[in-house]
Amino acid sequence: MKILTIILSTFVFSISMADQSIDHSHHDNHEGHIHEQMVDGKHLEVDAIRFDNFIIDLSDTQIAVVSVKGMVCDFCARGIEKTFKKDRDVRKIDVDLRGGKVLIAYDKNKQISFDEIRKMILANGQDATDLQVLSI
Amino acid sequence: MGIINIGLIIILLISNLELEARPISYSGGSTLMAFSDNMRDSVYFHYSPSYKYSIGIESINDKFFDDKYSYMRFTYLLNRKNTQDSQRNLYFQSGFGANGLDKHFIGVHGDWETRRIFAGFGFKRILNKKEDFNDGYVQIGVAPYLGEYGDLHTWIMLKSKKDSLMDKWSTFPVLKFFKGNFLIELGYNEATEWDTHIMYRF
Repeated sequence: MKILTIILSTFVFSISMADQSIDHSHHDNHEGHIHEQMVDGKHLEVDAIRFDNFIIDLSDTQIAVVSVKGMVCDFCARGIEKTFKKDRDVRKIDVDLRGGKVLIAYDKNKQISFDEIRKMILANGQDATDLQVLSI
Repeated sequence: MGIINIGLIIILLISNLELEARPISYSGGSTLMAFSDNMRDSVYFHYSPSYKYSIGIESINDKFFDDKYSYMRFTYLLNRKNTQDSQRNLYFQSGFGANGLDKHFIGVHGDWETRRIFAGFGFKRILNKKEDFNDGYVQIGVAPYLGEYGDLHTWIMLKSKKDSLMDKWSTFPVLKFFKGNFLIELGYNEATEWDTHIMYRF
């Protein structure tokens, strides 16, 4: 009976968390925002709210948007954040599990290398497949 | 209707998920785990020089044989497949008694997961001077909601395990929670009692 109670409590808790998750997906009108820019002839492939929140306190910065395969678990993606935070040129990092993206804010003078980023992502066991960089 | 059936129905009714306790960390990372079930208690620390392998030491309180010993452990990633929505892993695991080869084990561990669904298995062959035995399990799970990075993540799972020292499979529901670098897994079965797993990744 105790186990049944625990499972049902978890179920109710999960439903409430699911409601919060749905709230995350409500997008406001973000026309004209930085994420609307074209990068190398392609639209920036990011979650608009997440991206805007990421850059809200940044300036004179390069933003690297990295597409990553295999990034399906928060606990397993922790190493990405830890690995990149060791880089002195990294000012901020965020992981978008839903979109399979890693957002990295670099100092504006950093020479960003996809090969270097790919190796750092691989050090955590995932595969980086694409990189878009824009300056703000 | 038994607890197991209720757990199965809940899993089938809910269609979400994510997870797991990786035996290898990121390159340069280390992990501390504590595990307890009806057969043993253990504390295991491992370091991963590379995402492909880890080395560590495990201290065990063996309840069945009423013994205490340690393993030097080595785990190697045999195969990994990353896709946009999933990851699949197959690991080789081994452990050698810190005081000699009288105790050692080899085994494999595999898992496949998306953000919504998890399936995994493990098998170990344990050899010691008293009695050799096998230890295996299968585990499936569903995440009832998809948390964002940094949120509390929850999994509802079903685990079935068999130790050849015991006669039959034991199947029971498991709840898993993790947030940040901390993970806890709790399972309970009337026959085998609590099955708990705590992990912190540095």
